[in-house]
Amino acid sequence: MTNTIRKMISTSAALLFMTGSAFAGAPDEPRVLNFDNLEKEMGKRGGSIKMLMSKPKDVRWMTVYSGARLVAYDETFQLKPDILKAVDNVDNKSFTLHLRKGHQWSDGQPFTTEDFRYWWEDVAQNEALFKGGPPRELLVGGEMPKVEIIDSHTIHYSWNNVNPLFMTALAGARPMYIYMPAHYLKQFHEKYGDAGKLAELVESEQVQNWSSLHKRFGRQYRPENPDMPTLQAWMNTTKLPSERIIFKRNPNYHRVDPDGTQLPYLDEVILNLASSSIIAAKAGTGESDLQARYVRFDNYSFLKQGAEDGNYNVLLWPSGRGSEMTLLPNLNTKDEGFRKAFHDVRVRRALSMGMDRGEINEAIFFGLGREASNSVLPSSPLFKDEYAEAWIEYDVDQANQLLDEAGLDKKNDDGVRLLPDGRPFEIIVETAGEQSQETDILQLITDHWKDIGVKLFVKPSQRDILRGRVSNGETVMSTWQGLNRGLATPEMNPEELAPASPIQAQWPTWGNYYFSKGASGEKPTLPEVARLSELYQNWRDAANYEQQSAIWDEMLSIFTDQVFTIGIVSGGLQPIVVSKKLRNLPEEGIWAFEPTLYFGQYLPDTFWLEE
Amino acid sequence: MSNSPQNSLPPEGTKDLPHFVSDAPFDLRSVEKLTPEQEKIYFASQLTLMWWKFKRHRVAVWSGIFLLLLYSSVLVSEFLSPWNYQTRHSKHIYVPPQAVHLFHKGELIGPFVYDLKRKLNLETMQREYTVNDKKPVKLSFFCSGEKYHWFGLIAADNHLVCAPKGKPFYVLGTDRLGRDMLSRILQGARISLTIGLIGISVSFLLGIIIGGAAGYYGGWVDMIVQRVIEVLQSIPTIPLWLTLSAIMPPSWSPILIYFGITVILGLLDWTGLARAVRSKLLSLREEDYVLAARLIGAKPSRIIGRHLIPGFMSHLIASATITIPTMILGETALSFLGLGLREPITSWGVLLNEAQSINVVAIFPWLMLPVVPVIFVIIAFNFLGDGLRDAADPYK
Repeated sequence: MTNTIRKMISTSAALLFMTGSAFAGAPDEPRVLNFDNLEKEMGKRGGSIKMLMSKPKDVRWMTVYSGARLVAYDETFQLKPDILKAVDNVDNKSFTLHLRKGHQWSDGQPFTTEDFRYWWEDVAQNEALFKGGPPRELLVGGEMPKVEIIDSHTIHYSWNNVNPLFMTALAGARPMYIYMPAHYLKQFHEKYGDAGKLAELVESEQVQNWSSLHKRFGRQYRPENPDMPTLQAWMNTTKLPSERIIFKRNPNYHRVDPDGTQLPYLDEVILNLASSSIIAAKAGTGESDLQARYVRFDNYSFLKQGAEDGNYNVLLWPSGRGSEMTLLPNLNTKDEGFRKAFHDVRVRRALSMGMDRGEINEAIFFGLGREASNSVLPSSPLFKDEYAEAWIEYDVDQANQLLDEAGLDKKNDDGVRLLPDGRPFEIIVETAGEQSQETDILQLITDHWKDIGVKLFVKPSQRDILRGRVSNGETVMSTWQGLNRGLATPEMNPEELAPASPIQAQWPTWGNYYFSKGASGEKPTLPEVARLSELYQNWRDAANYEQQSAIWDEMLSIFTDQVFTIGIVSGGLQPIVVSKKLRNLPEEGIWAFEPTLYFGQYLPDTFWLEE
Repeated sequence: MSNSPQNSLPPEGTKDLPHFVSDAPFDLRSVEKLTPEQEKIYFASQLTLMWWKFKRHRVAVWSGIFLLLLYSSVLVSEFLSPWNYQTRHSKHIYVPPQAVHLFHKGELIGPFVYDLKRKLNLETMQREYTVNDKKPVKLSFFCSGEKYHWFGLIAADNHLVCAPKGKPFYVLGTDRLGRDMLSRILQGARISLTIGLIGISVSFLLGIIIGGAAGYYGGWVDMIVQRVIEVLQSIPTIPLWLTLSAIMPPSWSPILIYFGITVILGLLDWTGLARAVRSKLLSLREEDYVLAARLIGAKPSRIIGRHLIPGFMSHLIASATITIPTMILGETALSFLGLGLREPITSWGVLLNEAQSINVVAIFPWLMLPVVPVIFVIIAFNFLGDGLRDAADPYK
C-alpha cells in the first residue's frame, strides 16, 4: 500500500518532469555571462566529471560549488543579481525583486512569486516548520518585512529600518532561501496536501508528522531528495544513501554563455563516496577530476608525484580562512575553575604568547604560512597589522608574568601551574580528529606550553560529537578553523566576531542566547563580549558602508585584543587537483567558504571538458 | 664334565650336600645396571629434561636469545638511542635513513655519516636533503650526548653512540617533526615488549584462580565460570577494547594509561587459560594423591596450589609464551587505531599509527620501519613457544 503511494509520487514527479522538459531551456531572459571579464574561454557542452566525497551529506557542497543564488558576489565582491533579473534596493530598507521571465525549476514548472509567497506565508510563518518564526535575517528589531506580491515576476520586501543582512544572506554560501518549489512541496503541506495521503506517508517514512515530512523532502541546501526541483546548475538524481551520487545538468538553468549556449557545459557531476582518509590517495591516482575537499597541504607532494600518471594538475590556492587553526578556550565551560581562568584576558593572552608560531609554521606549513592571530586576511579591506599581530609574539617571560599576575602563580611538583581551587592547570583540547595536522600542531604547542607551566592533553573525537559537547559546555578548550570570512568586506555579516550561535566553541552558551532569541543560553557576562553583541546589533542597524566599516573595525580590534580565539598560522594553502582535460578553472584563486563559495565564485557551470 | 653347568646337580645318592651362601652384596639392579651416561638421563629432573629437549629445537633457541637481547635492551633504551625520542630537530624534518660509512676518500676514519644539505623544493613542497660528501660527521662512542632520565628517575647523558651537536645522525631517518626513528623504535620497544609481560601476569593470575576454582569445585561454580567465559569469548575483541579504552579519562598520565591498557588486555585474555586449567584440574583432582592430601586435611587452596598446578605448570608456561605476541599485537592494534597509548609515550603501535597516511607510503616509507621489529618479535615468540611446548612434554 505504502509502496504504491511512493510509486505514485515518483511517477507523478516523473510525469511532471517529462511534461516540463518538453519546453525545457533557459529562461526567456537568461543571465548572459561576460566571458571576457571573467577570463573564460568558450566551451563545449557534454561530458561528466567525478569528484570524491566522504559522507552522503556532502551533497551540500554541490549547492555551494554550483553557486546559483538570488544575488551573488561577482569577482570584485560586489553583489549582483543572479537568479533574479534585477533588484531595486532603496537604502537597504525596501527591495523589489524581479524574476526572469520564463524561468523554470529543474522539473519544468515555472519559477514565480508564488514560490516566494508559499515560503513566506506557509512555511516561514508556520510554527511547525519554523519554530522560532522566520529567520532572523528577515527581522529588523523583531519587525517582520512587509511582503507585497506585485505580479507573478515581481515581489517587494520592505522594512521601516535598514536591513543590511537581507542581501548578504541571500548570497551566502549557505544562503537564506526565501522561496521553495511550491508546486512540489504543497503535497507535503498540511494546508494543501491530501490528509489521507499525508498520514500514510508519515507512517511509511516513519516520521512524527507532516512537518518532518515537509522538512525532509524539502531540503534545498542539501539536495538529498532527487524529486525535489532545484535552480542550481546540476540536480541530484540519486536517492540516498548511495555510494555514487549522480548530478545531472539542470535543463532549465538560467545562465548562458556569450553565444547563447545554455550552461552548465558539463552534463554530469558524479560524487563517489570514500572514506575521508583515503580520498587523497584516490585523487593521487586520478580518480577525481576536481578535488579540493579532503585534500590537504601535506598531501601536496604526494599529489604532485602522481600528477603525470594521473593526468591532472595540482594548483595551490591560498585559503581564505582567518586562521588555519585556532584554539578556542571555552568561556562558558561547565568547569568553574577553568571558566574563571579563561575569563581573565591575561590568561588568554599568555596562552597565545606561549606558543612558538615560527616553529609551527616551519614544521607544518613549510614556512609558507603567516604567523598571525585569528583575524581578517591582508587582502581584506578591513585588514590592519595590529589585528594580525595582536599577542602573537613568542615571549615566554611575558607569558609567565601574565599568568603569575592572573593568580596562577603556584605550581605543583611537575612544574604545572595550579588553579586557585588547587587543581593543576591541565587543559584538555578536544579536536574533531579529522586532520593529523591538528594533532601535530597541538603536539608542538604541548611542548611550548611546558615552559609556561601549562599542560595540554589532546583528545581527538568526532566532528558531530565535538559539536554536541561544545554546545553543552562540556569542552574546556577545542580547536577549529579560524574565521570563515577572512576576506570580509564591511558589508558582510560580522556574526563570527560576536556571540551568535551555539556552535561557537569559545562562547557556546552566549551564542545560544542570541541564536534562540533569548529562549535558552545566557546573556554574555564579560563586558567585552557584551560590547561585541551590541556592536553586532549596531551593524545590523547601520545605514551605510562607512558605519558598517567602523563597526567591523571596532569588533576586530576587541576580538583580537581580547584573544577570544587563539589563532596560530594563517594563509595556508589548499591544493586543488584538477584534471588536465577540465578547462576554465582559473590557475589562481582563493579557497574560501565565504564569500567565494569555494569553487562557486569561479563559475563551475562554465567548466568544460576538452577532448 | 661334572663341572659343566648342565650337570651341576650332585650325583645321585650323595649325602650331606654342603650349604652355600653367596656373600657378595645383593644388588637388585645388577641385571639392569646403568652406565653413568644413562644415569644422567634417568635421574635428570623435569627441568633438565625440558632444557635438553628444548636445546634440540635450534630455531627456538635462537629466538630465545634474540628475545633475551631485545628484552635486555629495554633496560638501557636511553643509552642505546642516539637521541631522546622526543627531541625535535626542526631543521631535519623527514630525513631519509642515512648510511654509516667507514672510509672517506679511501681513507679509514672510523664510522661516520655525511652532513646533510637541506633544500626546500617549492615545486613539490618537499624538503630535499643532499649528502654533503665533503663534510664527514664522525661518530663517537660511549659519549655524552643529550640529557635524559633513565626510567624517568636517574639523570644521565651517556649514549652508546652520538654525533656532534646539531649534526644529523639518523640511521633510520626522521619523522614529520624531525624526531629520530631509531631512538623512537628503541624506546617504543620498552612499552611494546613489557606490555605483554604485565598483561600476561594479569591474565595468568585470573586464569589460574578462576579456572582452578571451576575445575576443583565443579558443580555450579564451574557452571557459572563456564558461562561467563562463553559470554566473554563471544564478544568481538576489538570493539570491546575500544569501549574499555574509551573509558579511560584523557587526563590520566600516559603511564597510567599504559597500565590501564595492559590490564584491559589481561582482563580479556584469561578465558582461554582458565579453560585449560579447569580441564586439567578436572582430571587431576581424581588422582589418588589428591585424595590423600584431602584426607590429611589439606585446604582446597593448598591442594590446588601445591599439588595440582605444578603438575602442569610447564604447559602453562608454554601457553603463556604463545599468548604474549597476542598481547603485543593487541597493544599495537589499539594504538594503531589511536585508542591505545598516546603521545608522548611511544610504542610500536603509536609509531605505526603515525605512519598511516598515504604520504608515508608514497614518500616517506622509512616511517613504516616499526613493522619490522613487530614481525620479528611475534615470529620469535611463536618459535620460542613452539620449542617450549615440545620441551614441556619431554617423554614424547
